[in-house]
Amino acid sequence: MATFNQERVEHALNELLVRIVPEDPSEDESAANQRFEAAFDFAIDELSVAGQPSVVPDINHIASLIERRVTRANDGAQQTARFHNLFSRLVSQPVLEQKWRMLYFLLQLSDLPPATDQPAPRDPRARTREPTTPSKHTSAGAQMHESPAFREAFAKPGLSQLPVNDGSPRASPRPAPEADKPEKRKERRSQETSKEQATDTEQHKALAGPTEPSLLRDLPFTLQGLSSKNLVFPSSTALKLPATLPVPLVSLLHTLAEPSLLYRGLAEFVESTEGGLVGQSFRSALGKELRSYLGLVATLEGQIRRALSQLDEAQPHNGIGKAGVTLKRCVIWTREATMGLRLMSLMVEESKGKKGGQLISLIHSFSLSHGDPYVGAFAERLLSHVTRPFYDMLRQWIYDGELADPFGEFFVSEQSEDDIREANGQEGKGGATSVWEDKYKLNEKMIPTIITEEFANKVFLIGKTLNFIRYGCGDAAWVDTYSKEASKELHYGDTANLEQSIGDAYKTTMARLIDLMANKFKLFEHLQALKKYLLLGAGDFIAVLMESLSSNLDRPANTQYRHTLTAQLEHAVRNSNAQFDSQDVLRRLDSRMLELSHGEIGWDVFTLEYKIDAPVDVIVTPFGSKQYLKVFNFLWRVKRVEFALGSTWRRCMTGARGVLGTVSDKVGSDWKKARCAIAEMVHFVNQLQYYILFEVIESSWTELQEALNKPESTLDDLIQAHAKYLTSITRKGLLGSQSTDFTGQLHELLKTMLAYKDAVDGLYSFSVAEFTRRQEHAAKIETRTAAGRWGLSEKDSLDSPDPFGPKRSSRADPDSPFPPPLLKIGDDNSSEDDVLPALRKRLATLVVDFRARITVLLGDLVHQPDHDMRWLAMVMNFNDVYQPVRRRRKVDKKREREKETPQPTTAIKTAGGERA
Amino acid sequence: MASQLPAASQEVKRKAAREVIDILHEIATLLNTHLDRQQLSYCVSLIENGANPEALANVIRKLREDFAQGSSEEGEEEEAVAR
Repeated sequence: MATFNQERVEHALNELLVRIVPEDPSEDESAANQRFEAAFDFAIDELSVAGQPSVVPDINHIASLIERRVTRANDGAQQTARFHNLFSRLVSQPVLEQKWRMLYFLLQLSDLPPATDQPAPRDPRARTREPTTPSKHTSAGAQMHESPAFREAFAKPGLSQLPVNDGSPRASPRPAPEADKPEKRKERRSQETSKEQATDTEQHKALAGPTEPSLLRDLPFTLQGLSSKNLVFPSSTALKLPATLPVPLVSLLHTLAEPSLLYRGLAEFVESTEGGLVGQSFRSALGKELRSYLGLVATLEGQIRRALSQLDEAQPHNGIGKAGVTLKRCVIWTREATMGLRLMSLMVEESKGKKGGQLISLIHSFSLSHGDPYVGAFAERLLSHVTRPFYDMLRQWIYDGELADPFGEFFVSEQSEDDIREANGQEGKGGATSVWEDKYKLNEKMIPTIITEEFANKVFLIGKTLNFIRYGCGDAAWVDTYSKEASKELHYGDTANLEQSIGDAYKTTMARLIDLMANKFKLFEHLQALKKYLLLGAGDFIAVLMESLSSNLDRPANTQYRHTLTAQLEHAVRNSNAQFDSQDVLRRLDSRMLELSHGEIGWDVFTLEYKIDAPVDVIVTPFGSKQYLKVFNFLWRVKRVEFALGSTWRRCMTGARGVLGTVSDKVGSDWKKARCAIAEMVHFVNQLQYYILFEVIESSWTELQEALNKPESTLDDLIQAHAKYLTSITRKGLLGSQSTDFTGQLHELLKTMLAYKDAVDGLYSFSVAEFTRRQEHAAKIETRTAAGRWGLSEKDSLDSPDPFGPKRSSRADPDSPFPPPLLKIGDDNSSEDDVLPALRKRLATLVVDFRARITVLLGDLVHQPDHDMRWLAMVMNFNDVYQPVRRRRKVDKKREREKETPQPTTAIKTAGGERA
Repeated sequence: MASQLPAASQEVKRKAAREVIDILHEIATLLNTHLDRQQLSYCVSLIENGANPEALANVIRKLREDFAQGSSEEGEEEEAVAR
């Protein structure tokens, strides 16, 4: 009832009405008064009747309602801010008692378009995406329920009015008489919900929506996702509940709606056929689970039917409670199934876009890391089913070496030619190497978590090997027999067995491959042959070859003919131990000419070659062959210098006993110097050669042998060992290091030595010429003496002047019939005069140059980190003849070279004295 | 009565009241209620004295409707008003 101060109210109302009711001048007094009276009465009645306002008396709530109303107006933001401001000021005012009523009044009177009627409430339970807690999930189907009471209860704006007591057992907080309310309602209520509520309460007395038995009857159909009379599925993700149900029934039906909607979605998914093999097996596993769910529904249906047949119409709720089957009971019975369905739909959601190994990993993660044992068991059940195609693929891969993967689900993928070429840049690796290395690729992402990384690597290797054996080595027969006898069924969950089979397969295939390599393709023989021929291991063969080729190769490069080279090669083979090698090896040995450029002689373009073909070239890659050739080139040069120096030395030594002895007065000192220098050079070359052939090559070879003969080695191990072998040879053999340029230095040294050899040859020919001259001279004297003349005369000195004596002007000779020549051009004398000093100078410079270079080389060698190279330095300089010089900066380099003076020893004292 | 203190407090009260009316008037304008100051103050007093705000709002709305239809149909209005 209205509890207001009658008097005051009347007065205020009067005043208000005066202002509201507009004055109409045309109207006469009485009419206006009448109108006024009428309005007044109306107002009074209204106010008496009204009673308490029906809003929750919370000012904040009102404020938010107002705010919402304001926000929806046109320039809402600014107005909202203003309203906030005003509201805060209002709240701080002490005057008004019932601010909320005032605000509510204003809200009611407001002209702004009201907020649109409450939108269908969104799923109040938000979906979480954590895969580890699927029980928090809810179905997508909670969206569509059209029961207005429900909507109201969960309405976003909050309760717009306190709930009406409609006969449900819950007592409403509303005081005061309710019974007469329905009658006293007027149409002038502005709330639709109250209207509905009126109809609700009206209907409630008559019919509580579809009865529970009818709902129960429909339930089995609903649970299968089929529309029924009361519960309709308007779409595949929504279930429409009848509009006239009381709220508790509605909530029960919501719980029951969840499995039905889930089932519908899952049934759709299971029917779809996309995705690879694993996806299909996943679908079939889900289908199995769904079938068991349907079994549950069938049992439920049986129960319901039995119960319904026992219904007693008279009792309240039609005696359902006694019959034992109610909606509530169904909810409980379907709870576990609902969890399973939830889990399945979660998996389906997560699995979109994944395939093969990833899918298996997903399901496996559920079984591994989830806390709920139900989930774990469920996932395990699924896994054994889902992984069957995976295991089939695995089996085929490890026993046949074939990849049967139409949908790209396995973690080994085949790369096409283009991919390989792309990966390798422009130049492919070619040959069998590319087959081994690149044809198959291990796809890390697709490795399912049911197998470990190491396991996956093993599997990859096994398959690759089998494939390689089949295609690269041409041994398909063995692969087939092996697969027939060893292949067995692989299962999930059988980890011990699986590991065993994989281990066995691994061992067998690897052993077979190594066996093939060794025996069928004679890998080790080839490596040995490479060492013998390209790395100059077979000394006798190389010596013969060099002897026969040396004269040939001195000629310019463009006069070399391939057939001559081949013929010489044959000759060398026949005359050395190489003839006892197998035909296969000898067939691959060949001599070749490198590309020649202008001015080169044969020595620069000659090379041996050893042909390698598949599958051995997996190990001796084309890059490796190039390295072999590089080393051969270097060694060949060194050998050549050794050979040249050796032949010169021989000539000198034999000549010293004969020819050279006679001219030792003139050229003896030169010869001594030359011999010393040659000895130095020979020593250097020998040490270098010994170092490379024995310290470097042989030791690396033993390491390689060890690696090759290891019992558990795989092809990858072999490839690695061989690569290591070659790199250590190139590095330690002074060919490969980047910081110091050994190769350049060595080449310069070798060139110097060859030049020196030429100079010595020149000296030799000079000595021989001198010797013949003296012979002739002596012979002439003999003949002249025999003829009774003077042995020697002045004329003779003119004719054959002493080339070492000072130049005598021929003018002083009165006997000479010829006028003294003014110039001595083209004169033998002068040339002979010049030759020896020129020779001497040349020899001297060369020796100095040689020594300088040696010291620089030693300096570099001594500071190398590798102890073998330091050993080389020590051995070259064993009597400290040279002072190793450290090349620091380019500026200092020249100064160093000038500064250094090798310490003189007794052996070369004279040479030291002679040096300019 | 008519001593300093009550006068001051009266003054304060009046000021406060005025302020409140101001605020309420602004809110009313914001909400487009078409109430002027005078009307608003009478409404305030009505509600303070216990009137139901909903009812009052309805009354005002109805009256506005009726009288907005124009005074030419005064007869019909009267009937409508008299229900």
